Amino acid sequence: MALSRKIAYIDLTNRRVRTAPIPLEMRRRYLGGRGLDMYLLYNHVKPGADPLGPDNVALVSAGLLTGTLASASARVHIAGKSPLTGLVGSANMGGFFGPEMRLAGFDHLVITGKADGPVYLWIHDGEIEIRDASHLWGHDAHQTQTLVRDELGDDDIQVMTIGVAGENLVRFACVMTSLKNAAGRTGMGALFGSKNLKAIAARGRMDIKIAFPEEALDYNKEIITQVTSAKVSKTMQKLGTLFIWGTTNSTGLVRVRNFQSNQIPHADDIEPESIEEEMIGTAGCFGCQVHCRGRYFIKKGPYTGAYVEGPEYTSLGAFGAEVGCTTKQTVLVGNHLVNTYGLDTLETGSMIAWAMELFEKGILTTKDTDGLDLRFGNDEAVIEAVHQIAQRRGIGDILAEGPLKAAEKIGKDAIKYLIHVKGMSNLHSDERPTPALALNIATASRGSDHLRSRPAIDLYHLPEKVLRKIFGNPVPYDGPLTSDYRDYEGKPWEVLWQEMCYETVDCLGICKYHTVFLGPNMPNFSEWPKLIYLNTGLEFTPKDLWDIADRAYTMERLFNLREGLTKEMDWLPDRYFDEKTDRGLPVVRGKSIDRDKFRKMVDEYYKLHEWDENGQPTEKKLKALGLENEPTHKL
Amino acid sequence: MSKTKEESTAKKTVRGRTSGQFRCLNCFERLTPPPGAKIFTCPNCGYAWRLSWFGPGEPRIRGPVWDVNEAQTQKSMAEKGGN
Amino acid sequence: MSKILVIDPEKCTGCRLCEQVCSVKHERVVNPYRARIKVVKWEMEGKILPVVCQQCEDAPCAAACPGHAIARNPETGALEVNYTLCIGCRTCMNVCPFGAMGFDWVENRVIKCDLCGGDPQCARFCETGAILYVDKSELSSLKQKKGAESLMDLMTKVTAAITQAG
Ligand code: SF4
Ligand SMILES: [Zn+2]
Repeated sequence: MALSRKIAYIDLTNRRVRTAPIPLEMRRRYLGGRGLDMYLLYNHVKPGADPLGPDNVALVSAGLLTGTLASASARVHIAGKSPLTGLVGSANMGGFFGPEMRLAGFDHLVITGKADGPVYLWIHDGEIEIRDASHLWGHDAHQTQTLVRDELGDDDIQVMTIGVAGENLVRFACVMTSLKNAAGRTGMGALFGSKNLKAIAARGRMDIKIAFPEEALDYNKEIITQVTSAKVSKTMQKLGTLFIWGTTNSTGLVRVRNFQSNQIPHADDIEPESIEEEMIGTAGCFGCQVHCRGRYFIKKGPYTGAYVEGPEYTSLGAFGAEVGCTTKQTVLVGNHLVNTYGLDTLETGSMIAWAMELFEKGILTTKDTDGLDLRFGNDEAVIEAVHQIAQRRGIGDILAEGPLKAAEKIGKDAIKYLIHVKGMSNLHSDERPTPALALNIATASRGSDHLRSRPAIDLYHLPEKVLRKIFGNPVPYDGPLTSDYRDYEGKPWEVLWQEMCYETVDCLGICKYHTVFLGPNMPNFSEWPKLIYLNTGLEFTPKDLWDIADRAYTMERLFNLREGLTKEMDWLPDRYFDEKTDRGLPVVRGKSIDRDKFRKMVDEYYKLHEWDENGQPTEKKLKALGLENEPTHKL
Repeated sequence: MSKTKEESTAKKTVRGRTSGQFRCLNCFERLTPPPGAKIFTCPNCGYAWRLSWFGPGEPRIRGPVWDVNEAQTQKSMAEKGGN
Repeated sequence: MSKILVIDPEKCTGCRLCEQVCSVKHERVVNPYRARIKVVKWEMEGKILPVVCQQCEDAPCAAACPGHAIARNPETGALEVNYTLCIGCRTCMNVCPFGAMGFDWVENRVIKCDLCGGDPQCARFCETGAILYVDKSELSSLKQKKGAESLMDLMTKVTAAITQAG
C-alpha cells in the first residue's frame, strides 16, 4: 500500500537513523509532499535557526500519489529554511527519484545535524545507510550519479545530488537528479552542502499497492488524454517549456537587460523553434506523456559532444533576455553548466543580469570584476560568470550570496537595481502590464516566484464564463473576474485559487503541467478526489483538498512570519511602479503598476485569506484549519 | 442523465477542444491560417505573425514580423497620444 | 487475428509508463521491477531501449524449456508460460537473446509478456508511438513508411542545400 510508507529521521551528527509509520491522520491533514513538509518544517526547525547551520533541517518528501497511476506522478519535494531568503525553502523536481524512494519504502526523510565529513544516503528496500562520500565530493551533478551507480553496482539506482555549487554553499544551489531535473529554487543545494550531504541514492523493489487497479488504469488513461489533447501539451511535447517565449516575447512580457525593457526584438536565434533544430527529441519524467524535457548534444566549443537535457524557458531569460544575449549557443552551454554545477538557472541569470546593470551604471567596474567585462550581451562574460559563481571566484563569490547579501556587500545603490521579492529573484518576466502576475510574485511564500500562485491563464483572454467555471470551484466565488490581464479587479482571487491548486499538486506529487497552469482545461479539484480514491482508497471531497492546501499554505505563512516576514515584504521593487515598459504591443506598452491599486490588491488578498491587515492569519482562521496549537510535534 | 452514463469531467473536457487555430496576441481574435502558412496577418487588426506548426494542422505564433508590428504599434500609440 | 508489439526506440522518451501500467495490470501494484517490459537506459548518454518479448516464431525459450511449459496462445499469438508445467529452472531466461524473460521474486516464477490477453497496456498508454500493437500484415508497410520518411527528410535537406548553393 502506498500508505504503508515510512518517515525516517536521519541524524547526521550522530549518524543515527530512526524510522516511524506515518499516522493516517497526518495524511488526511496534509496529504504528503510539500504539505507534510511544511508541517515538518514548522515543527522541526528551531525559530531563528541559521539556514546553513546544523539546526536547519533538510526534508525530502514524496507526494501522496508519487509513483501511482496519476499521470506524471513523478515529483519529490525538498524543504528547509532557505539559505537564500531565510524564509520557507521549498522546491520540487520530477525525474525518477520520487517513485524510486517510495519503492524503497520511504515517503519522508527528516535530515538533521551535520556530518563530520562528506556523506551520502543509500536507501534500499526499507533500509537507510549513511555512507562515506569523500570520493564524490568535488564531482559534478552528472558524474556523481554515475559514480554512485557504479559503486553500488546497479544502473537502476536513482540519485539526487548536489554539484560543486552546493558544496561551495552558493545560496541558490539546487539539488539535481537525472540530467536536468532540479529542485531549483531557494537554495536547497546549499542546505545539503551545509550538512556535508552530497547525495541520496534510492533503489527499491517494494510494491506500491493500487487500491482499485483496473479502474485506476482506466481513469489514468482518461486523465492523460485530458492533458495531452490540450494544445499546450502538444506544443510542449515538441518544444518543452521554451514554447512560452512565443507568447511572452511577442507580446512584450519578458525582462530584458535586468529590467530595462520588456521585449527583445529580432532575437530569432533563441526562439524555441530555432533551439528545437538542435534537439534530438524530448524525454519524460516517470509516467509522463507530456515529456517536456528537450534532449540535445552540444556541437560547438569546449563542451562539444556533451549530452544535455533542457533548456527550460527560464534559461531563455538567464542566458538570453535578462543578460541581453541572443545566441542559442550561450543558452545551450549555460543550461549545461547550471545543470552540472547544480545551480538554479533562474537565480544565476538574474544575479548576472543585475551585476551587468551595475556594471553599466558604474557601480561595479572592471576593478571589482578582475577585468571581467560584464557588458550586456557579452556571451563569454556570462558563461565565465557562471563558473565564477559556482566556484566562488572573483565577483562570483559575491554574487553567490544571493540578491540581498550581495547588494549589501556591493553597497552604493546596488539594491535599487535588484529585481527580487523577499530576497529571491524574479523569473525573466515583466509583470508591469499584468497586475495578477505582479500580485503573485509579491505575495508568494518563497519570494518572487511563478510556481506558487501564478494565474498564467489570466493572459489567455478567456471569457468570463470560463473563468467563473475554473476559479469558482470548489469554493464559490461571486466577486469580479475579468478577461483583461491589465485589470486589477478580481485578480486576488485568481492568485489565491492558484495558490491552492499548486499547493495541492505539490502535496500529491504531480507535475504542474498536468493541472491548471499553462492550460485552462486541465485536471484540478474536480478530478483529484477520484484519482486519489482509485489509487489509495482514501476519500476526499474537492473542498477537503482545498482545505488541506489552505492548511499547508497557512503553515508556510506561519513559518515565514515566525522567521521575520513583514507586510512590507509582500511588495514589489520600486521599479515596477516608477518605470514604464518601453516596448511590446499597445496593450502592454507604457505600463507600470499603480501603487494605490496594488495596495488594495494586497489588502484584498489578505482579506480573502482571512489574514488581518498585517498579513497575519486570524485566530478564527487558524482554528478553522486546526492550526491554533502548532507546533504540535506529531511527527 | 443516469448515474452510470454520466461522463467524467476529464472526458467532457477532451470533447470540447478545438484545433487549427491560434489567437492573435494583439486583438485576441481566433484565427485560422491556411495550412502550412509561415506568415499570417490578422485580418482583424493587421498585426503580422510568423507561424510555426507543431503538428499537422496545429499552428502557433513563433514571433512577430518585427518591423510590421512595431510600425503598427507606433502608429496606434501616436493616435492614442502616448498611452 | 495476429497482432504483435512493435518497438521504435527512437520514439521512446524513457518515461517508463509502460513498466508502471504493466505491473499494475499483472500484479495490481506499481512495481517496475515486476513488469514484463523494461525500458533499459544509459541515462547519462541519452540512450534508451525498451525491452519486451518479441513472441518469436521459433522461440528459444519454448524450445529450451524442459517442461514444455511455454506455448503459444492461439487467440493472441502470445507465448505464455503454463505454471503447472513450469519447473522453475529458468532455462528460458538464459536462452532468451533479448533478456525479455523476467523473474518475479514475489511469486517465485518466471514472467513474460502475454500481450495482456490481447489488449497490451504498454501500447495502450504509450502515446509517442514507441510501442505499437499492430497486425502482422501491417508490419512491412510500417517499416517501409518509416524508411521512406527518413529518406524523404534527407532528400529535402539535400535539395535545400543545392538550392541554397545555387
Ligand atoms: S511535463 Fe515535463 S516536467 Fe512534467 S512530468 Fe512531464 S516531462 Fe516531467
Ligand atoms: Zn489581431
